[in-house]
Amino acid sequence: MTHPLSRFANPSLRRRAQVLLLGALMACSGVAAAATRVIVLDSAEAQLTLIDPTTHKVVDTQPTGKEPHHLMITPDRSSLIVANSVSNSLLFIDPRTGQLQRRMEGVDDPYQLGFSPDHRWFVTAALRLNRVDVYRYDGHTMALAKRIPIGKTPSHLNFSSDGKTVFVTLQDSGELAAIDLATQTIAWRMPVGNAPAGLWMTPGDKYLLVGMTGEDDVAVVDWHKRQVVKRIPTGRGAHNFRSLDDGRHVAASNRVSNTISIIDYVALTKTRDITGLLPGPDDMELTADKRYLWVTFRFARHVGVIDMSNYTLVDTIRVGRSPHGIYFADRAPVLGPNPD
Amino acid sequence: MINEIINHLEDGIAALQTLLYVDAVQPLLFRLGLMGYDEDTYDALYWVIVGVLQIVVMYALLRPLEALIPAEPWRDRRETRVDVIYTWIAKLGVFNIAFFFLLQPVFDHLQSLMAIHNVPNIELDALWPGVTDQPLASFLIYLVVLDFAGYWYHRWQHRFGVWWELHAVHHSQRQMSLWSDDRNHVLDTVIQAAFFAGLSLFIGVEPGQYVMLTAVGNLLQSVQHVNARLPFGPVLERVLVSPAFHRRHHAIGYGHEGTRYGCNFGVLLPWWDMLFGTASWNATLEPTGIRDQLAPPAGGQRSYGEGWWSQQTYAIARIVERLR
Repeated sequence: MTHPLSRFANPSLRRRAQVLLLGALMACSGVAAAATRVIVLDSAEAQLTLIDPTTHKVVDTQPTGKEPHHLMITPDRSSLIVANSVSNSLLFIDPRTGQLQRRMEGVDDPYQLGFSPDHRWFVTAALRLNRVDVYRYDGHTMALAKRIPIGKTPSHLNFSSDGKTVFVTLQDSGELAAIDLATQTIAWRMPVGNAPAGLWMTPGDKYLLVGMTGEDDVAVVDWHKRQVVKRIPTGRGAHNFRSLDDGRHVAASNRVSNTISIIDYVALTKTRDITGLLPGPDDMELTADKRYLWVTFRFARHVGVIDMSNYTLVDTIRVGRSPHGIYFADRAPVLGPNPD
Repeated sequence: MINEIINHLEDGIAALQTLLYVDAVQPLLFRLGLMGYDEDTYDALYWVIVGVLQIVVMYALLRPLEALIPAEPWRDRRETRVDVIYTWIAKLGVFNIAFFFLLQPVFDHLQSLMAIHNVPNIELDALWPGVTDQPLASFLIYLVVLDFAGYWYHRWQHRFGVWWELHAVHHSQRQMSLWSDDRNHVLDTVIQAAFFAGLSLFIGVEPGQYVMLTAVGNLLQSVQHVNARLPFGPVLERVLVSPAFHRRHHAIGYGHEGTRYGCNFGVLLPWWDMLFGTASWNATLEPTGIRDQLAPPAGGQRSYGEGWWSQQTYAIARIVERLR
């Protein structure tokens, strides 16, 4: 039977077979740790899905809390934090296996989360509550420093390399805001356009790239001067980023065009689009060998695997409703100071 | 086998949801500059599709029963026609969804203020982590809590005169059928939606689960109003409100009579009627409607309206008359 979403994509069976064969060989040779899983947050089903990274089969699901959207590795890499935005809680899970370690209650609407590069601060964006909460972090515990009411629907976070400033996109206010972490006060706010979402810092803290979900571009912000200096046309619904760890490029998902754009962050230009995807490409993760880019398809209940050697979708895996955050331990490094 | 069927059904709904969203809804949101509602709208579309399917399933299952084993024989089904309109409006969850999202910012703001001022928040499914936050467990907890509130809400609809005039739109139906449940005054629907959405937010029901609770509640209430002999038996009818139990509530002179007395107010569960002494298990078939509608000398042959508009406006006129 033809897959109902097949008109959106045409993964080659041969490539799929290659992936499976490679996976089987890796598994037999003991290259891959047996229990390592791809962890996907099914935001509309209060669960996470665990996928075998070699066979691409769903092996388990685990309950989370309500509306888990984003996840973040702890600085010591001992835990992966799953943020349950509607349940007001954080789950600490094993970053390799996805098994629950502990639960932390009383964190209001943690939609997005991140640690400052100096690991002194833990910050959550409360999208529903129009607030950013700043916690002091001592390597083990988080102690609330301040709850900061801010513009409408704070959605994504990023930091300056010195850990002094956290930047926040305000989706419904159409703004970018900067918060001084030492004083926990709003340093400035500036308009950037319709529905800003993902944030990505270029090397040397020169520019902030902002995914404009209500538009068809990525805004380049000189945050020192608080100016939008360029708009890189990518695709409609530009949303989130993943560095490709090649010293030159970052991937940007376009949630309305259903494409992923590759941006040259030195020249500040788009170099290509990855097309033939399922609807709603959102969060992405890159394998350690930089060969495969995994992506959640928010509006298609699937996760996709893209072969970056030829920019082709080679596999799709059915998960739960509204898959959002994705992570696996064996991944390519994230270019700092971008959230890890 | 059952899992396979459910999976196929889920896949079908998901594919339809994606196609409708990607081809129709999302381009519109983008053009109107409303991409801030991107994710919520996609998730809500799922339940709109479920609502349409619900009507299809309800009709396919219950309509043959009404034809084959009617509780009341009718010459025609003329009076049920207007109820079909009510059903389409309500089953699509238009009011509930709208009010949930309209109320949500207000409640979110309250929640934020409560956190800032260290006022504890209620979240029922967090009572026993690992158990009460399982989807099925939390669903059942919320179902029982909301149904308890629904029992008292329904009693008050019969207790307070002005409120009764709104609720009388529902009780003026003299041909109870699978379509009758959603025949309500718009104002009553608004109050009801605000009441239950507010309560749901207060006790921590998430939006998706709230719509699911509404969908399950709607389906069970359609069964309760069906014009068919569906014996639940002595055990099941004490677990769920049966058509016979609810028909007694609609019976002239027995189940309700303005603000004076009544029985069987339970919405989904008869437990509260049993607990508070308002249950009647008498299954004798009686005419349904309001005494006022009967010809003299039993009643005043009052009209409660034939069409949707007259039923809505007559209710307001009755309230004005009552308040004079």
